[in-house]
Formats: sequence, structure tokens, C-alpha cells
Amino acid sequence: MSKFRPLTAYEEPLRDGYQLLPFRFTRLDDNDYVVTNQAGEFLVIDRSTLSDLVRHELPSTGLAYNDLKSKHVLTDADSSVATELLALKVRTKLRRLADFTSLHLFVVSLRCEHSCPYCQVSRQSDDKLAFDMTPETADKALELVFRSPSPALKIEFQGGEPLLNFPLIRHVVLKAETLNQVAGRDLQFVIATNLALLDDEVLDFCRAHDVLLSTSLDGPPDLHNLNRPRPGGDSYERTVRGIHRARGVLGRDRVSALMTTTQASLPRAREIIDEYIRQGFDGIFLRALSPYGFAIKTKSFTAYDMEKWLGFYFDGLDYILEMNKAGHFFAEHYATTILTKMLTPFDTGYVDLMSPAGIGIAAVVYNYDGNVYASDEGRMLAEMGDTTFRLGNVHNDQYEDIFLSDNLLQPLEESFASSAPMCSDCAFEPWCGADPVFHYATQGDFVGRKPESAFCTRHMAIVRRLITMMRDDENARDIFLRWVNP
Amino acid sequence: MLKLGGTDLEFRNWPADREKLIARVSDQPHRVRPLREGEAYLVKGETPPPGFRCYLAIRSHADLLAGLSDDEMQVVLPDEYDYLADGDVVRLIPGQNRIRVIYRRRSRHNSFLTTERCNNYCLMCSQPPREIDDSWIVDEILETIPLMDPATAEIGLTGGEPTLLGADFFRILKMLAAYLPRTAIHILSNGRQFADPDFAQRYAEVGHSDMMVGIPIYSDVSTVHDYVVQADGAFDETIQGILNLKRLRQRVEVRVVVHKQTYQRLPQLAEFLARNLTFVDHIALMGLEITGFTKPNRRDLWIDPADYQSELYQAATLLAGHRMHVSIYNHQLCLLDPRLMPLAKKSISDWKNEYMPECADCREMNSCGGFFSSAKLRYSDHIKPFL
Amino acid sequence: MAFSVEVFSLDTLKKAAYRMSDVAVIDIAPSGENIICTMKFRQPLSAEDVDQAVSTFKLEVLDQDLRASIGTETDAMRNAILALAFSKSGLSG
Repeated sequence: MSKFRPLTAYEEPLRDGYQLLPFRFTRLDDNDYVVTNQAGEFLVIDRSTLSDLVRHELPSTGLAYNDLKSKHVLTDADSSVATELLALKVRTKLRRLADFTSLHLFVVSLRCEHSCPYCQVSRQSDDKLAFDMTPETADKALELVFRSPSPALKIEFQGGEPLLNFPLIRHVVLKAETLNQVAGRDLQFVIATNLALLDDEVLDFCRAHDVLLSTSLDGPPDLHNLNRPRPGGDSYERTVRGIHRARGVLGRDRVSALMTTTQASLPRAREIIDEYIRQGFDGIFLRALSPYGFAIKTKSFTAYDMEKWLGFYFDGLDYILEMNKAGHFFAEHYATTILTKMLTPFDTGYVDLMSPAGIGIAAVVYNYDGNVYASDEGRMLAEMGDTTFRLGNVHNDQYEDIFLSDNLLQPLEESFASSAPMCSDCAFEPWCGADPVFHYATQGDFVGRKPESAFCTRHMAIVRRLITMMRDDENARDIFLRWVNP
Repeated sequence: MLKLGGTDLEFRNWPADREKLIARVSDQPHRVRPLREGEAYLVKGETPPPGFRCYLAIRSHADLLAGLSDDEMQVVLPDEYDYLADGDVVRLIPGQNRIRVIYRRRSRHNSFLTTERCNNYCLMCSQPPREIDDSWIVDEILETIPLMDPATAEIGLTGGEPTLLGADFFRILKMLAAYLPRTAIHILSNGRQFADPDFAQRYAEVGHSDMMVGIPIYSDVSTVHDYVVQADGAFDETIQGILNLKRLRQRVEVRVVVHKQTYQRLPQLAEFLARNLTFVDHIALMGLEITGFTKPNRRDLWIDPADYQSELYQAATLLAGHRMHVSIYNHQLCLLDPRLMPLAKKSISDWKNEYMPECADCREMNSCGGFFSSAKLRYSDHIKPFL
Repeated sequence: MAFSVEVFSLDTLKKAAYRMSDVAVIDIAPSGENIICTMKFRQPLSAEDVDQAVSTFKLEVLDQDLRASIGTETDAMRNAILALAFSKSGLSG
């Protein structure tokens, strides 16, 4: 029928050329570049396409044009909704900021019967007065918790070993529930415990108040016990027993585990993962080596350490991916956090990968003595004598004094990635975070020089690997989407 | 395929000035007297009870009308109308010997064609637009709504483009809100009118708690969408319309007809929807109906569905992977990638669905929606029964 | 290495130099129509590694130059989109 016009009739506006929308690019490998739009959506293109794109020489009939237009990297005279859609997407990504502090860590005691070499904070002591949080301190802290506007509040009990001060945990849970009858938030509790001291009283209480347990499992028995010595040398056995006992009372998904990675862990990624599978977990967080022990002594990570760690991580990731392809669901949680930012319109609440940084504005720490810290690492630094990240004290300071403290605002502002050298140009920035505490500890300032930053090296290497996997393996993206939306 | 209308009726004893009658059909001999005055009694096997506005019988039962007096208005229908039942609503035009079955109480697929006017001109339009004054349709709909059963599960508003009715569009919706508050309303629209924030606001203020607008998007690329719907600027207005509706918390479904012009970028469209319109309530991926404009444009539109299963699979799993609600409509089950079967819904309206000779022994016939009646013109070479 | 002032801006060279700072400290000195960049490696490197570093730097300069073009064309739009994203009206929550 002649009254139907061909596709070319609708492509006339394209003859006027196209405009670039704000985007960034970073090299992926020798041939390809990653391009990200303002909302953190990405494409992989080769260098000549990138160069043509920027010089306005990209043909509208080529393969890349429509993909770049659809992903809001370029726009043309045929459509003008790109700006509004981009603004909406940026807003969606930043939505959590308005909720403010959702994670509140209560350090209920510094006492602990383990003596893990990587721990900076615990005390081998029975002196409750010196190292336990008092109900008065807890009450003051709870007042601050409910001053946060966040609709969801997670209270996490830390230590030392929090179960050594279980009466205070009970006090906080009951008091928080009472306060919440008025406040009406979505309230959640977690105890980070080595499970060695689990008993029926604790379990019954946790079940009654829907308290989650988070424990440390560093790997197979010899590795775990090496990392986590305790009198009797049976940390592993107690942990595993605790996991199964707790699951039986609280429910399968109410007990989670985290590992700490040490030099001894690095050659043993697959064994550690196998251990997690054996103990019934459907995912693992392959964590970075903590810089805090090293840093204070040596002031930097060696490139060798980073190379070894990346080898560890990628070996683990490959192993996990094979497993998924064979039909067994198992996720790597750090990758999942990054992938959530890359593949979905949303952001996660993961404190360590946020810009502006998550310190204070996503999570805050109330120490046993009432001191308030911007992050757990900030607390650790204070234990080693550096109080840069102390925001105040619950007994002396008001909410505004603490959350508007210069000790908080300055690192937030200075570390903001969009303004930082190198970060502001980086295509991966939408999926990254500012970590002022890390950079302060390793380089001495809140921003750090990113070319020398272990945080940056690690993160960029992981992102490159994830994108390469998705580019080269058609199953990878499907598997990753399942991790992100289980 | 059901015959819903025709001009081969026999009208008896209708006064010359009686142009049209819209009436509820009753087959209840004990229907309360006051209501009989407006209703059409369907005579099936007993003495017709007195007091009804008119009496209907299919040809096989025409003899049952014998007992009626000469001043009773009667209609003899071809036997194909034997599906008529209590609660249905019909429009009778004696001067044209015409009937139209406007509403069937027992059907799950009732819809009102609100106008034949449209501001798109889709290559595959199943109801080609006509630029005429058909505003009489609105009056008829307003007359029909109070006659419908309030327990009706769902009513569709189709066209043409219903929103072109302007104020009348809202009159219909408000009447539905008043008389059928528990009936889900499903509006098929190109969404462009909702780009006007005031129009979207009026829609949001209608006051019916169960409305959804089904809006097609055919590509992630504006030029391709505009080409498929044959209207410049349609993509932008449609997207704006959806954004406005969502700002006002209205329910929106995105519909995609899969054919030769849309299948190649289907995965990219899925990605576009997942990242830009993540908040839509449902996505329907639909098979092509060979009727209306599809016939003259067949060469540019027809592709055997078996040949696009890869793109369909990628698109559907990407959307499902993002936890969006997605359904596959109008696809025969034997053509689908087996992994997509859970998403397939039986969707072809009951009055236009059929099966082909190949389907004879298929054990999935009940779950499969079958074909559009128009599919006799062209359907897949790969139809195979599940045995 | 010499970079023509006609082609490359000082900013471009500085940014490229910054990215290399884990490998080398790069002196940047204008000299007539050119800008001279001198790489001072932080560790001793083999001849092969030196060549590699020089190539990386040159590629980085080209990339930074592209970024400068993108920035010129899109910075205003970036700010407009941010402003729209943060505005109270219009966009859904």
C-alpha cells in the first residue's frame, strides 16, 4: 500500500548528525573500551568506534549507532526523551541517599576468647567494667539510631565477641522494639559472633525476636583454626556446630558467614569455597586482604600482594562460575554487589562501595565506651591511636554534632569520587566507591592517589574481569543476573 | 470463531419508528416483572413468559414463538447465535435486520471498541483506522454499562485509539467506576495522549481502583518504533505518556508484537525496558495477527515464529531475570522454546480462536491458545502436536 | 617525548601523567611549540618495560585528549541532568 512510508522516511532527522550525551570510557583490554553513560549503563566498543563516535563520524547505519543511542550515549534529532530518562535513572540510583543511616553497629564488648592475629580490637580480659557497653550508653545510642530518617534500620552487634555481653544485646533489642512501636520502621537485628558461646537461651531469644546471626568461617579446619586461635584450638568445630545448631532453631537463611582472607588463604580459594558449600551456604564473600594490620606498619600494599590476591579471587570466581554452569546456584557476594550496580537500575546498600562514601551516611558505629565512629575501620584506627574518624560521644554530643561533625564531613567531601582525579574520568566510577578510611590508612589522605591505590587496582581488575566474562561467555550474564535477583 | 454480529436476522412486529434497541438478554421465566420491560427474552423450550420488551429465538426454535401475540416484537436469529445466554447484552437494528452481541456475561474477553479513529497507523494494525465521526459508539457504551453484570471480571476498551475521545473517554471510565467498580478495566492505547500531563491527571482522578493501560513499544530505537506505527514523534510521546502515568501511580503494561520488523532488536528492547521503564507492571510479548493491515504488509511483517525463538528467549529471560512480570501471548506452544512455556498464556479471545488440522491429536490443546481465526492465511510451517 | 601544543593541551598531558604516577614521575615542561615530557621511572625497568610504559603513556595522552573533547561537548548536559535528577518536581520517587 502506498500510504505506508518506509523506514528511511523516519530516519530523515538523522541526517543532521548526532550529539554526544555525557559518558566516560576506560580501556578494557588491548582492543576494547568500556563506555558508561551517566546512569552507569555500559557497552563494550573498540577503539576505532570510540574515536569515530567522539569525532561525530559514526554512521547511523552502522551496527554500533543504535546500541549507543539506545544506551543514551548519543542522541539525535529524532528523539528528545533521553535527558528525562537519564535524569530518572540517575535519581533511581541515588535514591538510598535520602534514607540516610540504615546500618547501626553496636560494639557491645571488646572482650573475646579468640586471639585472631588480624584483629585489631579485642581484649583478652574478664574486666566487664572496662570493656563492656553499659545500658546507659546503649540507651543513648538508641536515641541516635531512631533519629535517622531511614525507613529500614539494621542494628548489628559487634565486638570482641558480642555474646560475652548478651544481657546488653537483650536490653537493646527489647528497647529498640519498644521505641519502634512508635517509630514504625522496618527493624532488623544481627549478631556478628564466633558462635563458640551459643546456648539455648541465646537461640531462643534470637528466634523470638527474629535476630540474624553472622559468623566467621575462614575455610577448611586447618586454615580456619590457624587464622582464629582460641583456647582448645577448636574454633572451626565450634563454628560449624554453631551454624547447624542455629539453623535448626532459627531457619536455614538466618545464619550467614563471612571469611577473612589472610596470606595463608591465598592459594586455597577452591578449598574455602568447597567448605562453604559443605556447610550449606549458597554464596561466599571473597574478601580483600585487610590493609589495616599492614598499613600502620608498612604504609602500603605491595603490588605482589595484590597480584596474589587477584589470582586467589579470579580462581575462586572461575570455580564458582563453573559450578553455576553445571546447575548449582552459588554466588560470589562482592561480584554481586558490583553487578547489581552494573546490571540493574538500582544501587545496593553496601557501605564500602558507595560514593559519596558510606561512612556515617549509610552506617555508623557506637563503641562500648560511647564513642561514635564513621566506620568499623575508623574504630580500629582509634584502637591503634588515631582518632581521625571519631565523630563524638553519645553521652556528650547531640545527633547534629555527630552527623555534622567535621570529622565526617571533611572525608565525605574530599573523597567524593566524581570530583577525584582519575575517578572523575573513570568509566567504572558509577560502580565504585569512595573509601576515605582505606586511603587515609594506606596513603595518609582521604582521597589517595588512585594509581597507587590497592582499592582502585583491585576494583578495576575485578570490573574488567566481569565485563570480559560477559563479553566472551554468553552464559555469564544470565548467571550474574540470577545472583543479582535470586 | 463466534459470530458476534450480522444482518441475516428476521424481525417480526417491530414498529417502523423503532430504530435501535439495546437490551439485556434474559432466559429466566420468573424474571421479576419490572425488569422484563427493558429486556429481550431468549425463548428456548417453554412458553414465553409475558411482559418482555421483545422475544428472541434461534431458527431451530422459531416455532416456539408461535404462541406470542401479533403485537409482541420478535427476532429470529441464525442458529450460530445459539451461544447467547442470560445476562448478555445485544443491539438490535430492525431496519437493517442487524444484531450485534455487545457483551457476553460468561466470556472472559469482553471489550468495547470505542472508536475507529487513531493517530497511529501501525503496519500490522488489526483494526485499520477510519477517520469518521463515530461518536454514537460512546452513547451506546454508556447505555450498555448499566446492563452489565457487576460481577464481570474484566472489560477491555479498544479501538482505534480510545484516548482520542477526549472528554468522552473519561465519561466512559467514570461510568465504569460507578457501575462496575469491581470489574478490571484494560485499556489498549498508544499512550501518546498521556504525554499531556493534564490528560494523565484526569485519568488518575477517575476513581476506579483496577485500571491498566496496555501500551505498545516496538523498539528501543525511536526511528524503528515510529516506522512500525507510521507516525513521527510517536516514540517520544508514548514514552512520555508512560512516565506521566507512572508518576501518578497508574498501572501500565507494555505490549510488543513480535514480527519481522521487531524481532531482531527484541533483546535490546528488553534491556531498554528493564533499565528505563523498570516500574511497568507487566510486559506482553505477542504473536502477529494476520488481519487488517498485516495482510497488505505481509512481506515486511511475516516471519515464522520458530525462526525468532532465540531472540524471544533472550528477551523474555532478561526481563524475567530483572523480576519484571512478562507473558508470552498468541504463540502456539509447539513453536516455543520449551524453556519459555511457563510464560505462555492462553490469550486469544474466545470468539476468534481456532486450531489447525495438525493439532488434532495434541494433548496440550487445552493449555494452548491455538490460533487467530485469521491465521488460516498464514501460519508456521512447524506446527506439531504434543503426543 | 615532545607533544605539539597545537594538538594537545597541558591539562591533557597532566592527566595522562597522573595516571602513570605509580610507574613513573613525569616532568612536563613547555618548550616553544612543544611540551616536553620526561619520564623518570620509580623502579629500574628493562628496555622492554620502558617501551611498554612509553606506549601506555602516549595512548593515555590520546585517551585524555578524547575525554577533553567529550567534556567540552557534554559537561553542560551532565549538570542539567543532575539538576533534573535532584529536582523535586516531576520525576517519580
